[in-house]
Amino acid sequence: MTVWPLKFRDLPNGTLLFSDDAGGFFLGSGEFLGRYARDALSPDDLRFLRGNGHTFEREGDPDWTSFAYRWAGRQSKQQELSYLILVPTLRCNLTCGYCQVSRAPEAARGFDWSNETLNASLDFIGNLKGPDIKIEFQGGEPLLRVDLLEQIRAFTRSKFPRSQFVVCTNLQRMGEVEWAFLDQPDTFVSTSLDGNHETHTRQRTGDGLATDTFFGNMAEAVRRLGPGKVSALPTIDVERPPDFEDLVENFEHYGIQSIYLRPINHQGFARRRKNEPNAIARWNALHSDFVDFLIIRNHRTGRYVEEYYFSQCLRRFLRSGTDDHVDLRNPNFSASDYIVVDHDGQLYPTDEARMLSRIGRVDLSIGTVASGVDQKKVQLLNSASINNFDADCIHCVYQPFCGTDVVDDLSRDGHIDLIRSETWFCRRHISLFDKVVEVMTRRDDAARQSVAKWAGVPSWGDHMVPVHA
Amino acid sequence: MIPLRLKIETDAIDPYVVRLRSFEGVAHDTPTLSSFDAVLGNATGESADFSGGERTLRVFGIDASDVNGDVLFVVPRRGTAHRLIRANSRHNTLLVTERCDQLCLMCSQPPKKQHVDMLPYFETAVLLSPENTTIGLSGGEPTLFKSELLEFLRRMLAARPDIDFHVLTNAQHFDRDDLAKLGELDLNRVLWGVPVYSSDPYVHDGIVAKPGAFDKVREGLSILCQAGAKIELRTVLMKPNAAGLADLAGFVTTSLPFVDKWAIMQLENIGYGRQNWDSLFFDSSRGFDTVGKALDLAISRGINAMLYNFPLCTLPPNYRPFAPSTISDWKRTYVSECAGCGLLDDCGGFFEWHPKAHGYERFGVT
Repeated sequence: MTVWPLKFRDLPNGTLLFSDDAGGFFLGSGEFLGRYARDALSPDDLRFLRGNGHTFEREGDPDWTSFAYRWAGRQSKQQELSYLILVPTLRCNLTCGYCQVSRAPEAARGFDWSNETLNASLDFIGNLKGPDIKIEFQGGEPLLRVDLLEQIRAFTRSKFPRSQFVVCTNLQRMGEVEWAFLDQPDTFVSTSLDGNHETHTRQRTGDGLATDTFFGNMAEAVRRLGPGKVSALPTIDVERPPDFEDLVENFEHYGIQSIYLRPINHQGFARRRKNEPNAIARWNALHSDFVDFLIIRNHRTGRYVEEYYFSQCLRRFLRSGTDDHVDLRNPNFSASDYIVVDHDGQLYPTDEARMLSRIGRVDLSIGTVASGVDQKKVQLLNSASINNFDADCIHCVYQPFCGTDVVDDLSRDGHIDLIRSETWFCRRHISLFDKVVEVMTRRDDAARQSVAKWAGVPSWGDHMVPVHA
Repeated sequence: MIPLRLKIETDAIDPYVVRLRSFEGVAHDTPTLSSFDAVLGNATGESADFSGGERTLRVFGIDASDVNGDVLFVVPRRGTAHRLIRANSRHNTLLVTERCDQLCLMCSQPPKKQHVDMLPYFETAVLLSPENTTIGLSGGEPTLFKSELLEFLRRMLAARPDIDFHVLTNAQHFDRDDLAKLGELDLNRVLWGVPVYSSDPYVHDGIVAKPGAFDKVREGLSILCQAGAKIELRTVLMKPNAAGLADLAGFVTTSLPFVDKWAIMQLENIGYGRQNWDSLFFDSSRGFDTVGKALDLAISRGINAMLYNFPLCTLPPNYRPFAPSTISDWKRTYVSECAGCGLLDDCGGFFEWHPKAHGYERFGVT
């Protein structure tokens, strides 16, 4: 019998977490690790390992085939390009302190799509395979150019009847034209809601009255479009986070039960602010506290709010195929299923790559919408967009569940040949998966009820995490 | 209950396949008729006369408007016709053979020794079937006639690109040489329903009464996986395997992760299931723990696990979304306690032949 290689990590309670390359996992003891390391596994060890899918007899036998299937399921698949992020204008009517995207003043010229870029974008869309197409309008504030949005939407609808549109808007200045554009069955709203009134004012509007206007528009959006059509993200300043209760209450008030806490990003204008070396440790602590806060609150209210990214990590830990979040998958190939078209017609693999290029750090454009994708550059990026062979990741118990983000590494460190464990991406995800394991193995009702809801299963208990003494 | 065997009179001598056309309730143009169609002539309260080709056919005990488009297999000598395809039903199943190499404790269709090759008739029936349906192929064990079955599937999948198949098989007879033949099929349109009762080989082999069956079914499933086949794993819940259901769930997640569905099914009181009812029926309303744990684990690991044939009220509320209504229309009934139940619309109820003393201690929404 052959045992597939196991990786392991000490847990705070004295046990160890073991995993294999296919994402099979269990909790075990130090004694077991000793026997494993000395190649002195007992019959009982082998019986457990066989039952938990970590062994095979012969290449091609049923155990081998099922392991191969599970391993393959852990790799994200190359898919057809079906998701476009369009930046028809970089101009914006807000000046948020942390602006992620390097915006331009509202009255500035030369920051909108030209006619040529519009036409090239329409051609680009027309050449997609379909049948399901998703278009996300970013900015700047895209609703400053409803006319461009209308043209894109009308054309996409005519080519692909099952298309969907997301408008990432600050919902700050809404007139009848803007509402009419949003109020369509195939169109969704994504906005920023930074917790409570005070934080939102400080971080985004700079003006209490403007925040009132936004809150009014947010309520109107939920009323007009329905709660399922409006999503919102809070951007969190780790130095001055909003009160958790205020934040969750405010999201629930607008019918939103999935909250994605986003740290202020290390790009765009946000990058100009002082980069505090311990920021990641503090972020991890804050995020962990927020998850604990939710567990207690959910237990109290009987309503189940989730932190979106934590749930995503939990589901990725448990099962394969959770590859729908583009920041967390492996391999994470560029320009595979989605691509960004900037205000000047440049193509980028991600929104972050667009920002990084704009601040002049490195040119991560991968072609233009008129000339198409520069495959050579894409291949260069892709050669580093995989964690399976990374010298550090191969030893990590969380490798099968984790992802890779070459753009994030470039943005923070300027190169990619890094000691992985020192990167922001790695430190953030080690902490997240540690939290996943902690919460999964808690035995109190409050944790179990939240984990069950977040994982999408009827109940949670001891039977959900295999243990070998 | 909807009758599947009809009394008939005909002037034909040899068995044949015919499609009935009554055109009642058909508002538009008369569809093109083929030589397999028989058109309604006279109808009385007791019988309906159809004619087509050179044959006449009188069918008793039906409402002619209910059988438009139905495909019958007429056996003149016996004065009967089998409704192979009911045009209004989503549940049409063709029995490829009545032979079987297993003898499951709860078999709903106990096997017989003799075999009559019906596949040529079934080919005609499939070609005459309404559009966009799923046709079941069952037995007995259809893969006892594996090469005929695969050839039948190859021809029918090509001839009717709108039709899907659901094959129930014990997966004992696949070997690596079949990969090439399986590869010729449009496997996206064939769902292979395969029973596995326990992760303990001794328990599984005991239930199917065939030593070595567990190892064989693992090999068979592995070959189906390599072929890229869609698999519906089927586990009938019974006293002999209930305690091991959570272990089976662990086995499914690690060893059979490639299944498209896992159906955990309550027992049907028919065939051997009726004979052995008392030693087999497991009251899942009382012993739900084992079922719940199995479902939790399987779902968490991405297995599409479902409960089939469980009355909704016998399940804790958080498990009800995983129990779709699965009992075919012509087999379904409810008991008197179900009157006025708020779950009735979503509940599959009972098999028509379920004992009146239904056996669930916790029953009814409280």
